[in-house]
Amino acid sequence: MEVSSLPISASQRGKLISAGYTSLSSLSSVSSSDLARGAHNAWDMLHEEESMTRITTSCADLDNILGGGINCKEVTEIGGVPGIGKTQLGIQLAVNVQIPLEFDTEGSFMVERALQIAEACVEDMSEYNRFLRNDFQACQVKMQPTDILENIFYFRVCSYTEQIALINYLDKFMSEHKDVKIVIIDSITFHFRQDFDDMALRTRVLSGLALKLMKLAKDFSLAVVLLNQVTTKYTGGSFQLTLALGDSWSHSCTNRVILYWNGNERYAYIDKSPSLRSASASYSVTHRGIRNSTSNVKRVKMM
Amino acid sequence: MRPQNLLHRPLTTQKCTLGCPILDRCVGGGIPCNSITELVAESASGKTQFCLQLSLYAQLPTSHGGLSASSLYLHTEFPFPLSRLRQLSATFRNSNSALLANNGHNPCDHIFVQSVHSVDQLLDEMPKIESFIKNSKSRLPIRLIVIDSIAALFRSDFENTPGDLKKRSSLFFKISGKLKAMAVGFGLAVVVTNQVVDLIEPNEGINGLRIGNLGCFYSSGRRVCPALGLAWANCVNSRLFLLRNEEFVSEENGTVNGGGEDFVCRRARRRLCVVFAPHLPDSSCEFEITREGVFGVER
Repeated sequence: MEVSSLPISASQRGKLISAGYTSLSSLSSVSSSDLARGAHNAWDMLHEEESMTRITTSCADLDNILGGGINCKEVTEIGGVPGIGKTQLGIQLAVNVQIPLEFDTEGSFMVERALQIAEACVEDMSEYNRFLRNDFQACQVKMQPTDILENIFYFRVCSYTEQIALINYLDKFMSEHKDVKIVIIDSITFHFRQDFDDMALRTRVLSGLALKLMKLAKDFSLAVVLLNQVTTKYTGGSFQLTLALGDSWSHSCTNRVILYWNGNERYAYIDKSPSLRSASASYSVTHRGIRNSTSNVKRVKMM
Repeated sequence: MRPQNLLHRPLTTQKCTLGCPILDRCVGGGIPCNSITELVAESASGKTQFCLQLSLYAQLPTSHGGLSASSLYLHTEFPFPLSRLRQLSATFRNSNSALLANNGHNPCDHIFVQSVHSVDQLLDEMPKIESFIKNSKSRLPIRLIVIDSIAALFRSDFENTPGDLKKRSSLFFKISGKLKAMAVGFGLAVVVTNQVVDLIEPNEGINGLRIGNLGCFYSSGRRVCPALGLAWANCVNSRLFLLRNEEFVSEENGTVNGGGEDFVCRRARRRLCVVFAPHLPDSSCEFEITREGVFGVER
């Protein structure tokens, strides 16, 4: 049978013929990986993906829908209305990761809150150790909440020029501090919603930044978390809520999580992800940080 | 650029006391420095009272919850409540005479007042304010900026067209960006007040959008939401709501709502609520306004 008569698309047929495969018999003995020279094997990539570290959000339900937590090597965008808990989630992630790097563009990072969450984290860890009966001396190294804060690289960013400069500088910073595992930008949006009359320029600058961040995430196996605000969009005669920075920005992140209110409960929804199915889960913001939603609310509803 | 070490600064953000321990407890010690706190309320709820009291108590030494600092009061609603300030200042001086540096200390000397009539003027004032703070030779440096109210500036100059609204929200971010930069640069506490608008639509729609801890706010029996919309809500770090509800107390049978004949026994019940704040849980506290100032009530 000739390749030219196979029921495949014209472009594939063209590629096969130009690569020298004219008949089916010449094709049948070749393995798929040989056929795709230089490309990565999907099987290997799957293994790589499975071994990838994920960063817990401290909320089991949220981790569940995220497939174990925030993915390293990927850019994740998290957005929601003011007061929904974006900053809280940012602080929680910063505490959970050994060495985080936090950009604060809005001034909402409060040390006492970080300390509170860090204290809860240390308590939980010692509780967990006791639970596992890990009584070896080596494991008894007591972690202090202040140690966690000590490890946070914190930048307060006061203008978009600073923000762009800092993202450009990250490459150098990361090669000096290879132990940094997560970069949190709270928020990517704030400085880009002022003083930009030329929206085309803003889009170019932002997509440039997004590409840099993606490259950083790949090169240094980092998780990059961008917090975004929401805005209203006027389409078809009605207003709708969307994440800020426009339509073209929505292509810039690998994963997109939207936080929203449902009644009196906070929910997270996976809006975009190449590997996760869209799902939502409730979470709550407690004085100890981000946790599972308290089930007594559900119990009340059932009665 | 160098990252900051979080342990090289105090482990709690410095706060400016509201002048009452009960209120302070509700907001985690007072109004935080380095960020913007917004007070939202309908008229006659006590926004200005809070602001005046705050600018007096900022003068207390840091050991007593103040900032040992002067304050800058930008007012956009006229006239400036000078007689009330003098009344509060007299009480403040009498009750805190031991803490103030010398006996000749007149609290009003450390409150700088500036009137602002338009958004453009506010933007023009920003660099002047910055150089004023930088070059201030006063014994008490400026550590508190009050803008009372931000809503009055924006509610008159702009029309409800997409073009104007876009221009408006870009100005929000510009003003907020400048204020935040100053707040970080000089360790300022920034307080802005905002008005409310009535909520006519049901829960759906943009104004019914839930922001923060409270699903909906009822003030004076009306359903309200903060003015200036979602864009402005993104510009502030913390938002506090002052709710006010009138209550008619008749002499025989306690509380009757909406009675209305007996004006002598009418009183307002006021409540301070945390709508959102990066460092505070959902909490609220009742307060009352007396001749001496604003005080929390424990029930």
